[in-house]
Amino acid sequence: MKSRSSRVLLILALGAASLAGAQTPSHRPDAGMHSGFEGMDAGPYSDADAARFLAQATFGPTLDGIAHLRSVGYQAWLNEQFALPASTQIPYLDWVENLPPLPIGNDSVTDDTRIEAWTINALGTPDPSRGMAAPADQLRQRVAFALSEIFVVSNKNGTLAYQPWALASWYDTLAANAFGNYRALLKDATLHPAMGIYLTHMQNQKADTTHNIRPDENYAREVLQLFSIGLVKLAEDGTPLLNGGQPIPTYGQAGVRGFAAVLTGWNWNNTGCGPNTYECCNENNYSNCGRYGYNLPSWKLPMQPIEAFHDNTSTKQLLDYAGVALPAGVLAAGGNASQELDAALDNIFHHPNVGPFIGRRLIQRLVTSNPSPAYVQRVASTFNDNGSGVRGDLKATVRAILLDPEARFGQWMYPSLFGKLREPLLKNTQLWRAMSATTETGRIETLNPYPPIEDWYGQGPLRSQSVFNFFQPDYRNSGEISNLGLASPEFQILSDITAVSTNNRLFSLSFCWYSDGSSCWTNDHGAALYLDTARDAGLAASNPSALLDRYSLLFMSGQMSPFMHQVLLTRLNAITGGNRGRQRVQHALYLILNSPEYSIQK
Amino acid sequence: MTTSRRRFLKQGLTAFGAAGLCGAFGNLNVLAAAAAHASFPPGDYKALVCIFLHGGNDSFNSIVPYSATEYAAYRTSRNVLVSDGGIAFDQATIQAQSLSALAAAGGLPGGVPSDGGSYGMHPALTELRQLFNAGHAAIVANVGTLLYPTSQAAYQAGTIAVPPQLFSHLDQSTYWQTSRPDDANANGWGGRIADRLHSANSGPVPMCVSLSSNNLFQRGDIVDSYSVSPEGVEKMSYLGDGPESWVIPPNDDGIAAYQALLAGNTQEHVFERAFADRSRNAVANYEFVDAALNGATPLSTAFPATSLGQQLRMAARLIQVRAALGMSRQVFYVSAGNYDSHNNQVDDQQSNLGQLSQALKAFHDATVELAIDQSVTAFTASDFGRSLGVNVDGTDHGWGGHHFVVGGAVRGQRFYGAMPSLRDTANPDDTGFGQIIPTTAVDQYAATLAKWFGVSNTEIADIFPSLAHFNSANLGFLG
Repeated sequence: MKSRSSRVLLILALGAASLAGAQTPSHRPDAGMHSGFEGMDAGPYSDADAARFLAQATFGPTLDGIAHLRSVGYQAWLNEQFALPASTQIPYLDWVENLPPLPIGNDSVTDDTRIEAWTINALGTPDPSRGMAAPADQLRQRVAFALSEIFVVSNKNGTLAYQPWALASWYDTLAANAFGNYRALLKDATLHPAMGIYLTHMQNQKADTTHNIRPDENYAREVLQLFSIGLVKLAEDGTPLLNGGQPIPTYGQAGVRGFAAVLTGWNWNNTGCGPNTYECCNENNYSNCGRYGYNLPSWKLPMQPIEAFHDNTSTKQLLDYAGVALPAGVLAAGGNASQELDAALDNIFHHPNVGPFIGRRLIQRLVTSNPSPAYVQRVASTFNDNGSGVRGDLKATVRAILLDPEARFGQWMYPSLFGKLREPLLKNTQLWRAMSATTETGRIETLNPYPPIEDWYGQGPLRSQSVFNFFQPDYRNSGEISNLGLASPEFQILSDITAVSTNNRLFSLSFCWYSDGSSCWTNDHGAALYLDTARDAGLAASNPSALLDRYSLLFMSGQMSPFMHQVLLTRLNAITGGNRGRQRVQHALYLILNSPEYSIQK
Repeated sequence: MTTSRRRFLKQGLTAFGAAGLCGAFGNLNVLAAAAAHASFPPGDYKALVCIFLHGGNDSFNSIVPYSATEYAAYRTSRNVLVSDGGIAFDQATIQAQSLSALAAAGGLPGGVPSDGGSYGMHPALTELRQLFNAGHAAIVANVGTLLYPTSQAAYQAGTIAVPPQLFSHLDQSTYWQTSRPDDANANGWGGRIADRLHSANSGPVPMCVSLSSNNLFQRGDIVDSYSVSPEGVEKMSYLGDGPESWVIPPNDDGIAAYQALLAGNTQEHVFERAFADRSRNAVANYEFVDAALNGATPLSTAFPATSLGQQLRMAARLIQVRAALGMSRQVFYVSAGNYDSHNNQVDDQQSNLGQLSQALKAFHDATVELAIDQSVTAFTASDFGRSLGVNVDGTDHGWGGHHFVVGGAVRGQRFYGAMPSLRDTANPDDTGFGQIIPTTAVDQYAATLAKWFGVSNTEIADIFPSLAHFNSANLGFLG
């Protein structure tokens, strides 16, 4: 049933694509490569299809990765990835801390050390903290990165800026839950101390009318608005339900107050705290105990309840929706902090919005900014029931997102619209992965330039300016995109400033950090990532057209237009001399990375 | 409209049922026709500077009463004193920061606080208080997003339309920037003003310049905004004159290839066109801006080394080179973050407001140095005011809040609009949850600025369609 309707869709789409191609000289490749009858989740049937899938599912295709995917197929590849244990960041921080202090700073752990760990896991480069084993859980890391842009915690918080273990633990929590159940993710996120600090529900206390103190509504509001259901009621396909032409709010101020009251009474976990010190929280010093020390266990452990500060006397208005378990969405008084939290998270989890809301966001992070309602509906339906009666199965949801016909063939279905602006960080990781970049020592400092990477790119891992992420799911770029009513999230960080600074960073990576020659700076050392330009220099020197075919595959899923190929070939042919191989590689990389065709992942 | 765009429209309509498309383009034509007529006499220059305080400033702790009755009301709400771990200022602290407001005069709006109370400023706002007492700054009381004048009874009974998603950061900061709570997809009111006036400028650089991120406030239908780094213009290395350009010799073949890929209107994909447009415009504008800035005498006014200070410094520099840029009207956007003070408010506000105050003072001084202060008006905006109720050592999301207007043209040293009650109970201005119902609409605040900026009454009514619901389209804080 599913595949038949998909085939019909494809045939129609192919017709439209061919028609469009016939009307004007096109800057896109020939559309006539696919019959559309291969079946959705079989394949890939070409290297280009494999590369395109890996652009969505990983931090960038590699030649080996393409070959492997072609040999095993989508389903087996997904099963391999689902089976891999999570690569984590905490052990890397611990390893660095235990290094000898010389050279000076060798053993210092800062937020930049966390970025090193992120980079190793994202690139899959040999990890010195694990005996130079290379992390291979690309899909999990890619989904964790997507989740980190939905469930936002950031080092821009004044406290978290100096707690790399807390942020590493937060990221590890996202990675651990990436293929688990959304309900578990929601609870782990809610009780993580980094989130408790970031959205200020740690040490949130029940109302105190004498002092006009009211429960903090911060997390209550954002968990609903950003992490689960959003502001208005949605159909399963993600479109807003309307009443009299108007969207219907999912909750009001009474609901926010209800969740805020539920979320009272949570404090630091006392496991491992120093007994009889200010670090150990008890019911008498609820808001005074502090964990601002370095690498304390409590930064990595879920918050614990202190009942004296939990509101167990008021009834709480939670979410009310068709089929809600709590009568009219009201939680009766009397539960303890843990019971009420579970009841409230169940109340969120079963709201019909969660599937389309989270589904659309994950589609946007991995595949396309403007999924059709039917695509969202198919993913939401899988979220709602994985086929075995389980709701919230993220593994099934990720599979549904990546193997959906629109994910696999959307570039032919909506050739002028499909896809997304590549995030600068993902351009960067793709460059390093495609070009087999490595460092001498395994440590990686190249994502920690001065000024920090977020100043160049408008983003850095767990470095958003606010809980609303670097960009918002419904951001509309000014001009044509806005006039057409399209979402273009990543354009929010493409300003006139970052259009130059991102370009210049990619210039630096292409022209200064390469293997087979002297680089731009004399103080390079063992933690600098070098592109393996030597790999392609011979091909570039002898056959630049073949080099461009290789890069079209690695960077553009084979989608480089004949026009672009010709422009680049003319450029490369003009480079002569003894170093022309390496130089052609560098110019090709720079020009591709900053081109409009590559910059939109399609 | 190009052929490829027209074809795209058809595809878009088929694929997504892009509602309102015709309306959007019909509107463009009207706008283009109107904008063609905008012009001002030579030497008639004005700049608006939006200072957005992200997170929602607690203005009820920024402007605080010290007269007995009003202070007592403040204490019922803010309750625990700073010295006891709370957020309430003691009376003497505020009195020491008193504001000497002028009485109303000449039958014009503005004067002492409407409740008859005496007010002072947060101790960190030292410079801003001096500007106020010197007549260069005014306070506009209890401004917020509204569709209609809203009474407590009507709000609580739900009998009047209010902006959707009150108390939500994203939505309320959107409505502050668009002044269109009735339209979730509206452009910013800065951009809508620029759409109508842009032909008054002769240079290529957009009227709207951001010293911060891309923002909604400056998004227009036909006018884009341009972002400049506060540190100055950075050029692209590959095109020469950028950082690390020395690594490879400038090469015409390379530049030609880069430009060929980015050429206008050659890309099939909507997003590719947008990426190409941004990349091209960034280069075209920085060349022009850099040339203008290089020809200017350095400002002698010192600016603080804060983000906001440096943003405003660059705004002042761009005002300085207005003639070279061909600018008759400019709209700037600067921003500061970390105002969402659920906790640790005392420390955070001390730092935030201190930075705001020092940056505003330097900016005003620079406009005096440039002898342009009569033509430059800076104003604050924020997601919302904050709740009167307390989260132990912070405050929650609110609605209405006080705002500052600074500049030589401001009828300063006055309060405009109605001061709300700060009582914890039986407060006629309270929604019932501790959030204060605004008594002045963002539309009124914005329209007053637009009027001064040279937007006609007809265009103001067009830009702010809800303005007609309110009793005044001009609050009178600009002469």
